[in-house]
Parts: sequence; C-alpha cells; structure tokens
Amino acid sequence: MQTLDRIKDLAIKELSLDAGKIDPNAPLADLGVDSLTFIEFMFKVEDEFGVKVSDQDLRGIKCLADLERHIAASLQTAGKA
Amino acid sequence: MGARRVAVTGIGAVSALGNDLEAFYRSLAEARSGVRRLPAEVTLGSGVQVGALADWDPAAHFKGPEAGSLDRATQFALTAAGQALAASGLDPAVADRDRIGVYWGTGMGGAHTLDAAFGSAYGRNDFRLRPLSVVMAMTNAAASNVAVKWGLRGPFANFSTACSSSAMAIGEATHAIRAGRADAVLAGGSEALLSPVILAAWQAMRTLAPADANDPAASCKPFDRRRGGLVLGEGAAALLLEEESHARARGARVHAFITGYGNTCDAAHMSKPDRGGQVRAMQQALAEAGLAPEAIGYINAHGTATIVGDVIECEAIKAVFGDAAMRIPVSSTKSMHGHLLGGAGALEMAVALMPFKQGVIPPTANLEQPDPACAVRHVARNAERGAIPQAVMSNSFAFGGSNVVLIAQRA
Repeated sequence: MQTLDRIKDLAIKELSLDAGKIDPNAPLADLGVDSLTFIEFMFKVEDEFGVKVSDQDLRGIKCLADLERHIAASLQTAGKA
Repeated sequence: MGARRVAVTGIGAVSALGNDLEAFYRSLAEARSGVRRLPAEVTLGSGVQVGALADWDPAAHFKGPEAGSLDRATQFALTAAGQALAASGLDPAVADRDRIGVYWGTGMGGAHTLDAAFGSAYGRNDFRLRPLSVVMAMTNAAASNVAVKWGLRGPFANFSTACSSSAMAIGEATHAIRAGRADAVLAGGSEALLSPVILAAWQAMRTLAPADANDPAASCKPFDRRRGGLVLGEGAAALLLEEESHARARGARVHAFITGYGNTCDAAHMSKPDRGGQVRAMQQALAEAGLAPEAIGYINAHGTATIVGDVIECEAIKAVFGDAAMRIPVSSTKSMHGHLLGGAGALEMAVALMPFKQGVIPPTANLEQPDPACAVRHVARNAERGAIPQAVMSNSFAFGGSNVVLIAQRA
C-alpha cells in the first residue's frame, strides 16, 4: 500500500475521520484534529512505519500530505523504501 | 439562613445498577445488586475478587474520538450531569450561564489515565505518553469538562476529601446558592477506580470484602455479623440544584429541598472513623435544617460494611437520635451499588431522594443476620413501601476524618 493510503487508513481508525472527506492538503485543524490529538496520532504513525518523528519535524507538518513527504523521506534515509 | 431555598430539579446517575436514574431506582427497589466477580483484566494480580463494575460502553454515550480524550470517570460525570440537566428542563443555551455553577467531587480523578501512563512507562519503557494525560488525569477534569460541555461559567469548585467529596460538593453548592452567588449549580461527583493497581492498594489495606462463596452479588453485607468489608464501585451522580424562585419561574418540577449540611473533621486518625466527628456532623445538619432528630424519616447510612465502621456509625446515629434510632428506617445501599468513594455522597443523595419520588425506601441488601452492635431500625433485604418521609438524611464519612451529612426535605 502507498504511504499516503496507510496514513489515511490510520487517520480513519485513530482519528475517526470520514474516509470520503480526507483532503491530504487540508490543514489539520480543518479536519478537526487539534495539536495534542495529532501528537498522539504521530505515536501511531511512528509504530506503523517504524520511524521517529522529532518535535522539530512535527512543527513542519501541517497536513497529511506533509506527513507523507516526511515519512517517505525518513524511510528512504533508513533504506526501508 | 434567609429566604433563598435550594431545590433539586434534576437528578442523574451512572453506576453498576444502570446507566440512568430510572434503571438505578428500579434496581434499588428490587434490591438487585450490581456487585459481581471482576474480570481478570480488571483485577490482574491484585487479589480483589468482586466489584460493582458499571456495564459501560463509551461509544454508546460519546461520538467518534471524544471518549478517547476523556478518562472513564469523566465519561461517567458527563453522562450523569447531562441526565440531571435534561431532567431539570433547564436549557443552558437560554439561561444566564454566568449564574450557573459546577461543584464536583472526586477522590482520585482520572485514575485510569494515570494507570495507563505508568503501564506505558514502567511496563513497556515507552515514555511517549499521551499529550492529554495531564488534563485527563487531574482531579478537576470531570468538573471542568462538565462546565465546558454546557458553558457553565458561574462559581466553580472541586472537592477531594475521599468518600465525602461529592456530598461536600452538594453541601457547598447549596450554600453558594443561598449566598446568592449562583442561581443554579450542577453538583455531583464521579469515580472510576476499578483498575489493577488501585485495587491492589485497596486490597493491601485489608478492608475489601471477599467474594461471597454462594453468590458474588451478595458479597457486601453492611450491618450483618457476617460482613467482611467494603466492595468498590464506580460511576457518577449529579443533582441540578436551583434557587427556588428561579425554578418556580420556569415552571420546573421540584423534587426536594436541600436544607441541612453538616461538615466536620475527626482530626484523629487517617482511616479509623470517630463517633464524635460523625455525631457533630449529623447535629450540624439538623441544626441548619431547623429539624428535630425525630423529623428525619429515612437515613441513607455511610455503611461501608467494614467491621469497625458500621458499629461506629450506628453508635453515632443512636447518640444523635436517641430512642428514635429504633424507629427511623436506616439502610446502606452500598450493598448494591458498591462504594463510589468520591462519587458516593452524590449517588447516595440520589438514593436518599428516592422515597420522595417513588415512595420506596431502598434496603440494605444481604442483611440477614444483623450485628447486635449495629442495632438501629434496619430496612433489611427488601425495600419498604409506605408513608413518604418528610425529611431524609445521607451520611458520608471519609478516610482522613472528613464527615459530611446532608438533609433533604420533601417539596
């Protein structure tokens, strides 16, 4: 499965987002996800992909598409892609 | 105090006896116990066998991810508070919410949240704790969530005095309304401590009842010579307290008036109750209500079913009520809903109001062999139906020596 699809599936499950309404480029707040909830979500993302997302990285992630780019880059660096 | 009388216009309850007031009162009237064997995942290695575990599905009460951001105790609190508000007919959207307060009580707040955090950190060496851990676990989490949910911006307080917490919340809320600080207060308490570590801590005190060999539901036996200790419960209860003229102006149904509040401290021992402190609290409540002892028509006892506690409470009742102690019906409904600790005072105030609403005095379930050292006028095993009392008393006596007594009178 593509990285973005895996992130979307996780968001549907963990954040109870509506599958049909997930816009990867929408600001997280527009999806109804506040910053603390998103941090919890990141723990699930870390476990799902086996990567670490630092607090500094987190500041640059404003939407699910940002998250996909970050994860893809991390996987590439780790040689997992 | 002057003319401002404090009415009860709404009641809500969540416990092992059901997730609404109707189910709660029905169970009490039928003397049905919510005590049961605890599942292995709840008790783990604690050694605790029974508890009054609520039959609780968060998804039935909260939408989407909301429940995940609320400790179990807060889930109970919001549900009971919502019931009380709905039953009162008071719509916060059209009320002056600066004049509506929240007074709440809890012993430990979000214990399940802390349990999960400790489990993650110590058990799995995973220190990525939930960012909401602090605001979910804090003792005022339930009170604050209740205020936020309905935008109640008036006086706000949270009491944590172990088993008297929510009785104190009701007493202090009553005084706040009388003093003119609020028109209405959503007052109550909540507790959810049926988690392995908390159970183990209670077990270490050696105050918990073992499972009854024949019937786990009958494990809690207040005032019975076979009693072996208390049974922990969980849940929440809330009362919508309202200044009488405010309630009358909107045509609300008044169930009762809270007229007496006694509050004393034993200042003697952390866990051993003291007759003198209990006597003074009952006398204070009677004096505030302006009632003679014999005016009380039902006493909901603290009655935890510990060896020492039940005897001391009965001695205190006899000291206050004299000969009338053998005439005034007394029961401990902890035999059915378990001990809600910080939520106990509010839940048992809801019980004490039951005779006004239903003409039924709930019993001490499982009381078959009354201890001669607990000689009061017991309502044993089955509910009694008869004359509706004019006034009722509810006792809440806590670890740490806090004694709170509430009196309500028929509307």
